[in-house]
Amino acid sequence: MTDPNATQHFVPQKAVGWQALIRNIPAMLSLGFIVVLVLVAIFAPLIARDPKAIEMRRTVGNEVLNPPFSPSMQNLFGSDQLGRDIFSRVIFGLRTSLIVGIIVRGLTMVVGALIGLISGYFGGFVDIIIMRITDIMLVFPVLLLAMTITAILGPGLSTVCFALVLVAWPDVARLIRGQVLFIKNQTYVKAAKSCGAKNSRILFRHILPNCLGVIIVAFSMGIPGAIMYEAGLSFFGYGIQPPMPSLGSLIADGRGYITTAPWYPGFPGIVLTLLVLSFNVLGDALVDSFDPRAR
Amino acid sequence: MASFILRRILMLIPILIGITFIIFALLYILPGDPVRLIAGPGATPETIESIRHEMGLDRPLHTQYLDYLSKMVVGDLGRSYQTRRQITEELAVVVPKTVQLSLAAEIISSFLGISLGMIAAVRQNSWPDRLITALAALQLSFPAFWLALMLQLLFAVKLHLLPSSGYEGGFDKFILLPAITLAIPSSGILARITRVAVLDTLREDYIRTSRAKGLRERLVFLRHALPNALIPITTTIGLDLARLIGGIAIIEVIFSWPGLGKYAFDALVFRDLPALQASVIVFAIFVTLINLFVDILYGLIDPRVSRAA
Repeated sequence: MTDPNATQHFVPQKAVGWQALIRNIPAMLSLGFIVVLVLVAIFAPLIARDPKAIEMRRTVGNEVLNPPFSPSMQNLFGSDQLGRDIFSRVIFGLRTSLIVGIIVRGLTMVVGALIGLISGYFGGFVDIIIMRITDIMLVFPVLLLAMTITAILGPGLSTVCFALVLVAWPDVARLIRGQVLFIKNQTYVKAAKSCGAKNSRILFRHILPNCLGVIIVAFSMGIPGAIMYEAGLSFFGYGIQPPMPSLGSLIADGRGYITTAPWYPGFPGIVLTLLVLSFNVLGDALVDSFDPRAR
Repeated sequence: MASFILRRILMLIPILIGITFIIFALLYILPGDPVRLIAGPGATPETIESIRHEMGLDRPLHTQYLDYLSKMVVGDLGRSYQTRRQITEELAVVVPKTVQLSLAAEIISSFLGISLGMIAAVRQNSWPDRLITALAALQLSFPAFWLALMLQLLFAVKLHLLPSSGYEGGFDKFILLPAITLAIPSSGILARITRVAVLDTLREDYIRTSRAKGLRERLVFLRHALPNALIPITTTIGLDLARLIGGIAIIEVIFSWPGLGKYAFDALVFRDLPALQASVIVFAIFVTLINLFVDILYGLIDPRVSRAA
């Protein structure tokens, strides 16, 4: 049997899999940063001060200051108009972002994967209908649609999750369907079928486990999008509602102080950008390392 | 070719029916009550019922849907609940402004994205390549609404270079900030895709052949690599435009750009359901038409596509 790589022997083979991932410095830095942020979010009450503590006057030396205080050792990210510590508010907002990002993307994967499995495995009329629906869902303006849904249902944590899953599942369904179409023609599936295995057994014991790699990559690739959409919804008042903290609504609060206290809307956005960036870099590295078709 | 185009255009009909159907399903089958949204929190049951009757929402859903469809075909999208004017007339005013903004953004984005992507590909694994790739990842990671605020702060408040928001007729200094905000993530995506497309073509046999016959590297690139890389790039510009329009609403709102996105957002804020419904449908039609155009264009550039279909 000929080695398909035979002609490329003189080319140093690019590392694949875990090895490639571990050697990818930006990806490892991003992973480290994500781990730190997750720990910060988990231990938020230990690290942050009370994000609701108001401080209307502060004396430095013989000077009396009024909020918003600019960034200092006391307020790493400065304070808002009521003297509340923005660093602490960001940490609690980060908590919401991570929770929503993981829940939304997790639910989206479950819903999307189930629909994709059904569509790809059974094919025919079911497949045509499901694929037409996904075609159409993909042409809608996502954020506007999500805002409309939360407005009708009443904005809040659960409706934000519902709306974001509703607008995001078609992508996942198409991805998994493509994977299923490939897997269901493999010999082991045909063998299982010829042994008389039931559809449900083939789907969940043979096809689903072989989609797992794609599912994990798609899960991690989709988290930054979910985080960003939640922040967008909350920024416009159709997302997470106070008193629950959110980076989006924090930036919206700070918008009015953009000229007098640029740190107020500034720092929450920087943290949000870095969070999304780390997930994006890590996701790209996952694809690079585990998807043989990508480079 | 003609039959390929015709078939693609005919496929619009079921898609349009699907778009309106899904919007209907979302607005009227969800457990929330759209009439309650219109009436506001303090409305009495009588008010709610009268609005429901006035809007025809007390009729069976399929009657409403068929009625809406048949009116839509002749260009009647109903009246705005807020202004009482024909929605079609209002859309005729706002839609061209969204077209202006999206075109301006796409031009900036294509120019930046394609040139950066090509530089990165030609100098693969050099520091400019790494820089451009890293920059592209960052460009994709900004939350659009926050980026808009920061650009306003920088260019309008601090540097006094550009007006922070507003509209004075189209392609002037007012379009720059919103267009740049939209172009930043878009050009990042385009740069990545251009890079991969050019790298792919540079690996083809005919490139090796033209190098082997002693063609200068510049000619290899301009004559052979570029035209072939343009096929995926053209498609990407189209898809990118579609993606950009999906996110244009929030940019229009922040920069007070009176286009379709701001119209839709205002409709949402004022609980003007007919106007909101119509603008979401128009947004979806917009994106569908762009996809159709890309499909046809792809068939024209690459004859294999139209023959296969």
